[in-house]
Amino acid sequence: MVTIQADRRVRTPRPRRNGKAGLRYGIAFIAPFVALYVVFVLVPVAQAVVMSVHDWDLLGATREFIGLDNYVRMLWGVDITWSMGHLFWWRMAILVLAAVLLVGPARRRRITLWRTAGLLALIAVAFALGFHPAETGFWFDPRFWTAMQNTLLFTAVSTPLIAGLGLAMALALQGGRRGVRWYQMAFFLPYILPVSVVTLIWTYFLSPNQGLLAALLEPLGIAPIPWLSNTDTAMIAIIATTVWWTVGFNLVLFAAGLQDVDASLYEAASLDGAGPWGKFVHVTLPGIRHVLLLVMVMQVIASFQVFGQVNIMTGGGPGSSTDVVIRHIYQTGFRDFELGYASAMSLVLFAIMLVVSVIQMKFLGKDATK
Amino acid sequence: MTAVSQTRALIAPGAARPRKDGRQQVPGLRRATATSWYHVAMIAATLVWLLPMIWMTSLALSDNAALAQETQFLIPRDFTLDNLLGVFSVGLTSRWFLNSAIVSILTTVVTVLLCAMAGYAFARIDFRGKAIVYGSVLAGLMIPKEAMFVPLFTMVADVQMHNTYAALILPRIAAPLGVFLMTQFFSQVPQEVEEAARIDGAGPWRTFFFIMLPLARPAMIALAIFTFVQTWNDYLWPLVSATRAEMFTITTGLASLQGNFAQATELGSLMARGLVGSLPLLIIFLLFQRHLIRGISMTSGGK
Repeated sequence: MVTIQADRRVRTPRPRRNGKAGLRYGIAFIAPFVALYVVFVLVPVAQAVVMSVHDWDLLGATREFIGLDNYVRMLWGVDITWSMGHLFWWRMAILVLAAVLLVGPARRRRITLWRTAGLLALIAVAFALGFHPAETGFWFDPRFWTAMQNTLLFTAVSTPLIAGLGLAMALALQGGRRGVRWYQMAFFLPYILPVSVVTLIWTYFLSPNQGLLAALLEPLGIAPIPWLSNTDTAMIAIIATTVWWTVGFNLVLFAAGLQDVDASLYEAASLDGAGPWGKFVHVTLPGIRHVLLLVMVMQVIASFQVFGQVNIMTGGGPGSSTDVVIRHIYQTGFRDFELGYASAMSLVLFAIMLVVSVIQMKFLGKDATK
Repeated sequence: MTAVSQTRALIAPGAARPRKDGRQQVPGLRRATATSWYHVAMIAATLVWLLPMIWMTSLALSDNAALAQETQFLIPRDFTLDNLLGVFSVGLTSRWFLNSAIVSILTTVVTVLLCAMAGYAFARIDFRGKAIVYGSVLAGLMIPKEAMFVPLFTMVADVQMHNTYAALILPRIAAPLGVFLMTQFFSQVPQEVEEAARIDGAGPWRTFFFIMLPLARPAMIALAIFTFVQTWNDYLWPLVSATRAEMFTITTGLASLQGNFAQATELGSLMARGLVGSLPLLIIFLLFQRHLIRGISMTSGGK
């Protein structure tokens, strides 16, 4: 034993500092960062929890402990009932999804704790969606639900669009041809613009009487569309703006992922007589599986926090067609001065994103062990 | 996570990558035509993609009187530089620009330094409790910065620090991602480097500042550019914290101009402000785009 240890010590010299000196230097090196980290990242979360159980006014001194009232106000209402038929098809879709997720592992007899947890969560969501106000009832904060619905819609539409377009662009730029770097730069360029410049460009670009888009569509016989002042098109305009702004970021991630796909697999697929589509499905997609997942997760988390575009371009309107959760939190806090309630909503949003992050860690972590 | 391979790519950025195009080579002329069609298609696609930006530039270079008549063109009408030159002389734009520059530069410098220090300690110094501290820093990756602005606002208000540079800078420095990246980088540096420094009698501080920091330059540049762009473009926190017009950043300042319909008549100067407001980023992008793109690939924590 002793000889082995001594041997090991010789082979891998460890210049790392140990003991008291190590502790002293270690603390000295991390202290500045950790201090700021604790004060500005960890404490706010604790502060949010404290504020969310208070009636916390921005201006006045009313800081009354009200328990979970803020959460009740957010998630509940008057005369809330549960019925089988409410949002029936959506809930069925969720249950079908849960069943699909169960089938594969059940056949292979590998039902893990994680799968069970995910399954139960989906069933719980399907159950919870059955709650709705009765005819005489109402939600305490209907705006929260509208904003949540719009945020989910934005996320559900923009995430596949951005991931799909980013992947398509990365594929078009694949193969190391000359000039590809310039094309990539061009597609990436909008990403570095501040949100207020993006909205400045697009608000005017989409404008029915001043905008370039209306002029471009005119020869096609399409009358100018007031994109941002129509309840049906406002969200489309916000999504289009966001796609243009952020797709370059995902293009870069996909491009990096494609470079890591083993080249010999393409050759093997060619020998097997696979066409471009076959190669894409059987070589490219499995090869970039984790990038795809990462892009989706990052997009979902970013989409849940969408705020700037909406706040500047439409102000949540027309009506409440583009109202989103962060904007609701912002206005609750800084227009209505109800910081306690705003904190409660922040925490619920945080919890949703935490679930997404945990799923990310779960999947990406599994990949890392391979 | 495969940040390891990314970090290796940082150490040897020029490492050649093999061609992954499995397609068979089409000989001679047909291949040449296919290539030129490819480039025609890609140039068309990039032009369409950048059309909104080209249009903005052309409006910024047009005379405001001409813009009152007509705005739907791509070649500047009555070409003028007045809009661009007037950006800093009218209104608060120059002040906002200065605010953004101060905030972004300070945030970037301090973030990179503190993240490098912490990353070095986490990667190379053994001390008790390190695993717990590092774990809790990584847990911070899951706290979205946009979601916690309400309690942060209250905390800053309690010490009456709103409308100061400190309030705009300090909350943005504590970026767990930066520490994660620097830790990954430093753990890749061979032991011998540090050992040699120690034999030469260098203490931890000297080793860090004179041996390790120069080695970490590629990673630090990538982190710096990424931080700078993020800070310059930050919208929600400056909007909440800096409420006095003279403390706006260029991002919140330009946003404040857009709700104002009086400005709509001066479309050319509005677009010029947008252009100037993005100028530092455009310059950084042109100079450092390789680093920025590598920084994004790093952000993913690997593949």
